[in-house]
Amino acid sequence: MAASPMEQFEVVPLIPLHLGGVDISFTNQALWMCIVVVATSLFMTLPLMRARLVPTRMQSMAELSYQFVADMLNMTSGSDGLKFFPLIFTVFMFILMSNFFGLIPGSFTVTSQIAVTFALTALVILTVIVTGFARHGFGFLKLFVLDAPIYIAAPMALLEFLAFCARPISLSLRLFANMLAGHTMLVVMAGFVVALIGTGGVLSALSIAPMLLIIGLGALEILVAFLQAYVFAILSCIYLNEALHLHEHH
Amino acid sequence: MRALGERINEVRQREESHKVRPPYTPLGIAGRFGTEILGAVIAGAAIGWGLDWVFGTRPVFILVMFMFGAAAGILNVFRAAKEINERMMKDQAGKPMPPAVADDEDD
Repeated sequence: MAASPMEQFEVVPLIPLHLGGVDISFTNQALWMCIVVVATSLFMTLPLMRARLVPTRMQSMAELSYQFVADMLNMTSGSDGLKFFPLIFTVFMFILMSNFFGLIPGSFTVTSQIAVTFALTALVILTVIVTGFARHGFGFLKLFVLDAPIYIAAPMALLEFLAFCARPISLSLRLFANMLAGHTMLVVMAGFVVALIGTGGVLSALSIAPMLLIIGLGALEILVAFLQAYVFAILSCIYLNEALHLHEHH
Repeated sequence: MRALGERINEVRQREESHKVRPPYTPLGIAGRFGTEILGAVIAGAAIGWGLDWVFGTRPVFILVMFMFGAAAGILNVFRAAKEINERMMKDQAGKPMPPAVADDEDD
């Protein structure tokens, strides 16, 4: 197979557009983001248009995902955090749907671009910072201060600050790396199948091994797609909870 | 009517005890720790690089902050491990974690 495993992550402009020297071309990335957003909106609204007391299958799925995020938020940050339900729910559904859409052969995985994951993370972290300062004023900075003698508290404050700065990086990196690695692995395995068949003779019979592996990896990828959306959402909840309640480290 | 309310509460509590939560796979935990350290090191190095750029002290801050970043990464991993531990205990017992056992060593 001529296709390199990284080719699937290439952003190509579909409709070239330039506005005042800025490249705002409509890319495959933008196309799939639109598809994901429209699909998610339809998934959440259509079954509820004619909501019934005894839900249909689709209505039940929409309600379950709502309940799932509401429970998660309630569990981590209490009823206080429910104010942020729209944000968390949107982020969760967007990542979940992008991950699932990315598993369709021939599609484009939106969340395998670090620009996308970092933008989502920036949204969450900025919300955390603004909430923290709005809630506690400069008392929010107590988050970095340890209850200890000054010679311990001073370096620890630096450490806490760095640990705080690391959050957006690790949060965006995790989602990005997981999607990138999974999809690359699938294509590499698929390349093995083609290469083995191409050799002919006994070796082509061996191509069944990577093929079986692809099935296993595919199943794993479905789990990872859900798990990463969940991890992203729950970590956002935990960070929001800290901003709300100035969680004490101990 | 009251009986119905009691039954609803009962069902709710039963649901509460085994709520659907995705499991922690070893791979997931490894990935979590890895990115946690990597993120902190990148943050530290980037801040050090920025400070060097501002003060014109090329190798000083980037070295120091790299080390601090690594330490902050360990701190984050430590916290992540604690959080995962708590969750696993909760999931295994199916009920809130019991209070920590008192230290019974004579020291």
